[in-house]
Amino acid sequence: MDATEKHGAQFAAGGAYGPDAVADSMQRGDGGFGRDQQTYYDHPVLQKPHWKWEVVTYFFIGGMAAASSALAALAASGGDPDDALLVRNARYSALAGALASGALLVKDLGRPERFLNMLRIVKLKSPMSVGVYALSVFSMNAGVRALEQLHADGHAPFAVPGWLAKPLRVTTGAPATALMACYTGVLVSATAIPVWFTGRRHIPAIFVCSAVSTGAALQNALLVLTGGSARTAKKLAIVELIASCAEAVLLLHWRLSAGESAKPLFRGARGRRLERFTLVGGLALPALLLLPSVLSRRPRHDRLLGLTAAVAALFGGYVLRESIVHAGRDSADDARAYLRHPE
Amino acid sequence: MSTPEHGFFTDVTLCIGCKACEVACKQWNQLPADGYAFSGNSYDNTNGLSATTWRHVAFVEQMDRVEPSASRWMMMSDVCKHCTNAGCLEACPTGAIVRNEFGDVYVQPDVCNGCGYCVPSCPFGVVAIQPEAGVAQKCTLCYDRQKDGLEPACAKSCPTDSITFGPVEELRALAEARVAKLHAEGREAHLYGVDGPETRDVGALNAFFLIPDRPEVFNLPPKPVLPSKFQRAAYTSGLLGALALTAVGLAVFRPKPWSA
Repeated sequence: MDATEKHGAQFAAGGAYGPDAVADSMQRGDGGFGRDQQTYYDHPVLQKPHWKWEVVTYFFIGGMAAASSALAALAASGGDPDDALLVRNARYSALAGALASGALLVKDLGRPERFLNMLRIVKLKSPMSVGVYALSVFSMNAGVRALEQLHADGHAPFAVPGWLAKPLRVTTGAPATALMACYTGVLVSATAIPVWFTGRRHIPAIFVCSAVSTGAALQNALLVLTGGSARTAKKLAIVELIASCAEAVLLLHWRLSAGESAKPLFRGARGRRLERFTLVGGLALPALLLLPSVLSRRPRHDRLLGLTAAVAALFGGYVLRESIVHAGRDSADDARAYLRHPE
Repeated sequence: MSTPEHGFFTDVTLCIGCKACEVACKQWNQLPADGYAFSGNSYDNTNGLSATTWRHVAFVEQMDRVEPSASRWMMMSDVCKHCTNAGCLEACPTGAIVRNEFGDVYVQPDVCNGCGYCVPSCPFGVVAIQPEAGVAQKCTLCYDRQKDGLEPACAKSCPTDSITFGPVEELRALAEARVAKLHAEGREAHLYGVDGPETRDVGALNAFFLIPDRPEVFNLPPKPVLPSKFQRAAYTSGLLGALALTAVGLAVFRPKPWSA
């Protein structure tokens, strides 16, 4: 956006002073030049993050990849032969998600070698640095797992040597996956943007729940498409149901406990969109659709139902990430919310 | 460090709003123009700091209808604060943002990869991504000029010495003396960025200000936050969530199914 366009938009939004400032000056009757200014012409104090769809999609896909990898590990550890198909699907999709994540980040940065700039130092104080290593180690693990699976399926000519794969998995698998699921939430929470930092107790947990609910929905859809067992689908449905409930409770709690600074997320068109597509469409609807199969003792496989629930959950998950990222932009523009100082 | 920390002392009571600092900064640092746009905000059509505007003169009009002689028109040349605890520096994942030998917070353009995380991490809204260059940019405190023993372009061009450059310790002494003088004259004045509540998180500012009004009048946050302090709560939230859902997964996928 060039300067002319930016200022044009500002002008259209209610004159140079913004709607709040106009209301203030009307009350004072001094034409807007009184002594009790609350801000500098309501010009934003903070700069907006430039993150676009690449980063939103990365937040969404990265979370799903982490949850898929976790589901593969959990299902494999259970050892139920019925779940073998889930393990296979989840391992492949975790790798696909990891590769897509890397590609999206490179697209956001502009040039591939720019990613390497982040690997020249380790900085525990920067969630971005922690996240880059979480993604790198996670991708490595996902790659090894997918190769092992490929070998087990008889498609790979060689096996990953156990002395390499096992220590890597044992030491780094779980921490990298957990960080991969939650660090994006920490990333936005640890900023100066009011809607993000006041949500720091909720956002990371919500991101984890969303990762698991969308990850389970994706695996359920893949299971339906590859003809998996109804028992596995039921297990996935239970995981998705619990994660969705936790996510809904956290979102509602955030909404109720948040003050003015969360306005850009929960009010107006964005709030309605979040309500419609995430709370109702992405969480409540899939939960209702999955409930019968969860409650029945002898689960049936309803392909259409399963796919509908999965699509609704995935879209809801995307809308959640998008809403939170975009709310950050509006929050950065609200000079009053920041200067009034919510913290 | 052999060189003492250098910074700016910007005195609002001396600024005449000539914008020589804005122009000198643009010229010396070869920053592109931002286009023509009429804001309607007093004499300010620059509006704020950006990736290509590293000095910004704010014009604050306070008209008193009841007592016109009490009206005032204040100008403040805003700039990167070069914080002691800099949010941008802490957030940078590449190590592109460093503190140089003069104590300035400096973005190395060849190391920056344009991830943009410093942008929402600056509690003053200073650093920004320049789309054409694809990297983060902000005031360098004229690092190149300092290396040659010159003062930064903005301070050099300031005709009233509203902007003074020098070792921060000396500038603080100068500022204290100026505040005392103004107080003796019965004028309102205080320092922003030396030891007030605004330094709670970010520490003292190497570029600090003398302002005759509340900070928010100049869009200066009364209590700027240091984003890294939110990490503990955020990691706790995320990792507890991951732990709880792992437990759920373990229970659901446990070897003996509940339906048996």
